[in-house]
Amino acid sequence: MSLQIENLHVRIEEREILHGVNLKVEKGETHALMGPNGSGKSTLANTIMGNPNYEVTEGRVLFNGEDITAADPDERARAGLFLAFQYPATIPGVSVANFLRLAVNARREEPIKVKDFGKILRENVDLLRIDREFVSRYLNEGFSGGEKKRAEILQLAMLKPEIAVLDETDSGLDIDALRIVSDGVNALSGPDMGSLIITHYTRILNYVRPQFVHIMLDGRVVREGGPELADELEEKGYDFIREEVAAADAR
Amino acid sequence: MPADTHGRSAGRSATGRAPDRGSPTWLDERRAEALAAYDAEPVPTWRRSGFWTTSLRKLDLDALEARRYEAVEELPPTVAAALGHSTDDGAARLGALIVQRGASTIHTMLDPELAEQGVIVCPLEQAVDEHPDLVREHYMGRLSHAEGKFAAATAAFWTGGAFIHVPADVKVELPIQTVYLIDEPGVVQYAHTLAVVGEHSECAIREYCLGAAIDGQALHAGAFELYARPGSNVKLAHFHDWGPGEIYDISTKRVEIARDAHVGWVPIHLGGRLVKQVLDIVTAERGSAMRHTGLYFTEGDEHLDLFTTDRKEAGHTTGDTIWKGALTGASRASYEGLIHILPDAQETHTYLQTHQMLLSQKAKGDAIPSLIVETDNVSASHGGTVGELDEDQIFYMTSRGIPRAEAVRVLVEGYFEEVVQRLGDPELAALVRGRIAEKLEAARDQVQEFIGERAET
Repeated sequence: MSLQIENLHVRIEEREILHGVNLKVEKGETHALMGPNGSGKSTLANTIMGNPNYEVTEGRVLFNGEDITAADPDERARAGLFLAFQYPATIPGVSVANFLRLAVNARREEPIKVKDFGKILRENVDLLRIDREFVSRYLNEGFSGGEKKRAEILQLAMLKPEIAVLDETDSGLDIDALRIVSDGVNALSGPDMGSLIITHYTRILNYVRPQFVHIMLDGRVVREGGPELADELEEKGYDFIREEVAAADAR
Repeated sequence: MPADTHGRSAGRSATGRAPDRGSPTWLDERRAEALAAYDAEPVPTWRRSGFWTTSLRKLDLDALEARRYEAVEELPPTVAAALGHSTDDGAARLGALIVQRGASTIHTMLDPELAEQGVIVCPLEQAVDEHPDLVREHYMGRLSHAEGKFAAATAAFWTGGAFIHVPADVKVELPIQTVYLIDEPGVVQYAHTLAVVGEHSECAIREYCLGAAIDGQALHAGAFELYARPGSNVKLAHFHDWGPGEIYDISTKRVEIARDAHVGWVPIHLGGRLVKQVLDIVTAERGSAMRHTGLYFTEGDEHLDLFTTDRKEAGHTTGDTIWKGALTGASRASYEGLIHILPDAQETHTYLQTHQMLLSQKAKGDAIPSLIVETDNVSASHGGTVGELDEDQIFYMTSRGIPRAEAVRVLVEGYFEEVVQRLGDPELAALVRGRIAEKLEAARDQVQEFIGERAET
């Protein structure tokens, strides 16, 4: 059970953003993908999920050994992939609860019973310490940054993917919201889920401890290691890594 | 087409009043003035700056007649289907009903409880005879035969019609409904509804304009006027579904709101070959307030041309207008919404927003908010969008496992849900939701194609 990225080259509007990315996330593992703005992190996240605006020119995405490079986003989702968006879209007129029911039912042959759905929804809402009123609001309409991120984590909890990609879920959160989101991710992580936490900063890594850290620069993964790599990054910054990589390339 | 001679014979032969019953001189005079205006006016073509033109050149006016029908106990199927939500639960849930088919009133019903409260709901023809002073006091108070050929035609030739009068200090719980039905080709229907809601009274009025799937042309030329007297509170809905036949609708509807009164007005347009309507809502006295919520969905080769005015005549008045539409097929829809604040209307607060969603390559639309302010110390804002489904929203939904086709359906229904919620009428909301879902299903392939094409580019 894994997500595997092989030599991925991705273009958007005629410009190549990813220049051959390799990455593997197994179920049960927690990975952090770190990099400065513009390094291609969000492009990778969108490509993994199949955003039609991103064109794969070379390489492939495998999920559980199957090539899903050309699969539609809904097929990927039903197979067990999930993306928590950096900037989730607003869905007017569709409540959080109704949206979740649609998404849950999309994975099932028979629609879930209203009572069963209500029970699961309440459990997860309570788990994430979300106000119960929240689920009757239109999804992301008028939500604060923190509410949007919580709605993403609530979806993650409800849909129980095998592999979750969290795209800058920590950005724009105050400490309390960050803690709630992190607690949620920790509660959901375990042998049944692998996650790829994409972040610019190291602060979420104070709450969610990854086993693997990847550093991305200019569309490539340039360094990989254990959690100590995040500590090193925290200490020295991206510029140091950049210089180090440039020096290595020059040799 | 010798337009200026059209309809005289048809209209005159169809005035519907039994000759022996006679008619008050004042009404004859009003009709005569209207007829003169009608004769003098050409068949109009409405043009607006840019590409927009509403033309009646494909309508063969001379081939239409004001057809009469017998009264019936059982409602025609088109009417029963639309009112199904009320009749299913028995007539007890309905306060009053008037059904006009073609030129004739074919069904009337008034709950005895309402009659006891002094509520009048009857054909306007009948009201002219039975309640002459009440009718005369309000008749065409805000409408004029000088507003073009079809306003004149309606004023000259109307038959049947509806008169609704709720006396002062009465709260009517059950809805009052009027229906204009066209279910045969070759029919012209001149309609006139006059509604007066007395001081501090409350009621809900629903008017249905319904067409069957006819094979041929027909015309509804309508006038609607509502006077909400001081302190009253009225929920008003207009539900238009002329069906897939070639039915034209050229109408003027006007609502006047007196001191401290409130009207929530909900016009819904779900079909018609060509619909040209002027919808005006006048906050005429201090403290009057309105909420205007409109919705339309056009398909096939339908043509919809709406002009609404939020007219503020007095200070300390408020308004809140929102219109949403969607277009499929090769349909055309234009919505223009004007906020007009007159010199005496200081301290008014109003806003208007209009949104339009294109769901097909061939559909063309327009959504234009505008503003005329002739005084100071007011707050008025407006905004409009014409757009397509947002690809980011579709991606977001599909990333949750929802298939693309379903995502599109849910997004369009969600887009309308905001205004459907504002209907404040669960029965009507259910009817509207159902009809929108049907229309979306009918347009499913072309919407998919349109959305799919965009995804690939």
